[in-house]
Amino acid sequence: MSDSAAHAGPHRLTPWLATLAAYIVPLGFVLAPMALFLVYSFFSVDHGSIVFSPTISNYVRFFTDPVFLPIFWRTCLLCLAVALLCVLFAFPVAYFLTTLRGRSRYMLLVLLLVPLLMSYVIKIYAVRSILGGNGMLNRALLATGLIDKPSMLFVFNLNAVLLTLTVLLIPFAVLPIFLSLERIPKALRHASADLGATNAQTFWRVTVPLSLPGTLSAMSFVFVLAIGDFLTPQMVGGQSGFTFGRIIYSQFGTAFNWPFGAALSVILAAVVILAIRLGGRLESKHGGAK
Amino acid sequence: MRFADRAAPALLITLTLFVFVLLYGPLMVPIVSSFFTVSHGTVDWSQPTTSAYVALTQNDSVLSALWTTLIVGAGAVVLSVALGTGLALYYASPNAKGRNFLQFIIFLPFLMPPIITGLALLIFFRQVEFERSLLTIIIGHTVFVLALVYRTILTRLQSLSGSLVEASYDLGASSWQTFRLVLLPNLSSAMAGAAILAFALSFDETMITLLVTGTQSTLPVRLWAMMRLGFTPDINALVALVLLFTTALCLIAVRYLMPASAVAGSDDN
Repeated sequence: MSDSAAHAGPHRLTPWLATLAAYIVPLGFVLAPMALFLVYSFFSVDHGSIVFSPTISNYVRFFTDPVFLPIFWRTCLLCLAVALLCVLFAFPVAYFLTTLRGRSRYMLLVLLLVPLLMSYVIKIYAVRSILGGNGMLNRALLATGLIDKPSMLFVFNLNAVLLTLTVLLIPFAVLPIFLSLERIPKALRHASADLGATNAQTFWRVTVPLSLPGTLSAMSFVFVLAIGDFLTPQMVGGQSGFTFGRIIYSQFGTAFNWPFGAALSVILAAVVILAIRLGGRLESKHGGAK
Repeated sequence: MRFADRAAPALLITLTLFVFVLLYGPLMVPIVSSFFTVSHGTVDWSQPTTSAYVALTQNDSVLSALWTTLIVGAGAVVLSVALGTGLALYYASPNAKGRNFLQFIIFLPFLMPPIITGLALLIFFRQVEFERSLLTIIIGHTVFVLALVYRTILTRLQSLSGSLVEASYDLGASSWQTFRLVLLPNLSSAMAGAAILAFALSFDETMITLLVTGTQSTLPVRLWAMMRLGFTPDINALVALVLLFTTALCLIAVRYLMPASAVAGSDDN
């Protein structure tokens, strides 16, 4: 192709050069690494060195070993719970935001955006200082007399991971819900009121169903962010809070089995793609109808 | 919006307030305790002090991590803004080949969990025998922030009227002149906003960095290592400073990127 372009002179060559320049980084530093990592998942490790001959043993190990599959399902459930909790907290905020106008709406939006850009590690650390055995939450509960000794329910276990991820990811859920609420034409709510519906009826039968695509894409968004995280479980999960992300990370550290880690990541990627598809499909189905 | 019952708005405000307490409350703990000394695991509230901040200025590992973070951030910003602008222009150009496929590749590192992007790069660097160094961190960050930078610039580019470019060509400008004299001035505020956003993301990036770093550690990686040891005033002081810095960055980025109507507060609904 470059031959014929070269013969045609500089004017015909430019688009080809532009295409080449545009593709070089995305192909070289995104697609090539991703493809290589897929290939790696079919290799194996023998005595600490990687064997470069294709095998499906990593995948067989994942599906047959009694350790990995239960952790995988538990992590999926955990992240689903995080997604549900985030949406429950985010919906009222998003709804409140739509009732505001002008400067106060702008301020509140900015206040929601600021934590998005705050250091992830710092947020985990901050929440950990609240959740610990000697943390603020336990002290507050002790002070109010609800409990008489520090509760260990949310100290270095999966509950702590659940609570921390929820606090961290709420802002990510607010924005998609807010956008879908904003897109609902006011006329629909007015029509509902004109037809004699109460505010509650309008809310449950017009607003909520129409915001469903945004709510679902918020859920898939949060799910994807939660399932890929290995820092939060590492920091607040303790011994019992083992998640899929932590297992993948350990394959590249202490366990030193890169091909197996790559295979586990491929499975993670498959779950993520499924979640994005589910979130996106409903969005296009309902949201597109507007 | 009129509510027949008064309870609903009150409930809404309460829930919103509760969420903001959840979001900001935990951050207050390290900030407030950074001004007090900790002994035997408990905070001594009797005497506020800035000693933790003074100690930070003498902590070489923190200072070198800060330096690394700034270099990585600057590198990632320059590379991602240059690439993002080029890619946005290419996407919008009529000659673009497979533009949706290209866009999909650009979005991949942002859609996939960072652990996957990080691992893919780690394996790639090892396979092509590219020593892990400052450069590999910069590449990792660039690939990660590129999607956002590209999208921001493309959005602005597509909001510009096509007749601007047509007018420029009609008046005899070359494509380079059109880019430099017509497009670039119109894109510059989006580019600046994207650059700040990219820097803020790079400044906080931890997961990819942990995987692709050699011996250097950036500030979040250093913090991560410190935090695993416990709750100390110097971590808290560092946390407070980092929070201050990222909040400022975020506010500046918002200024550049928010449509003017949102700031002025017109009700365009």
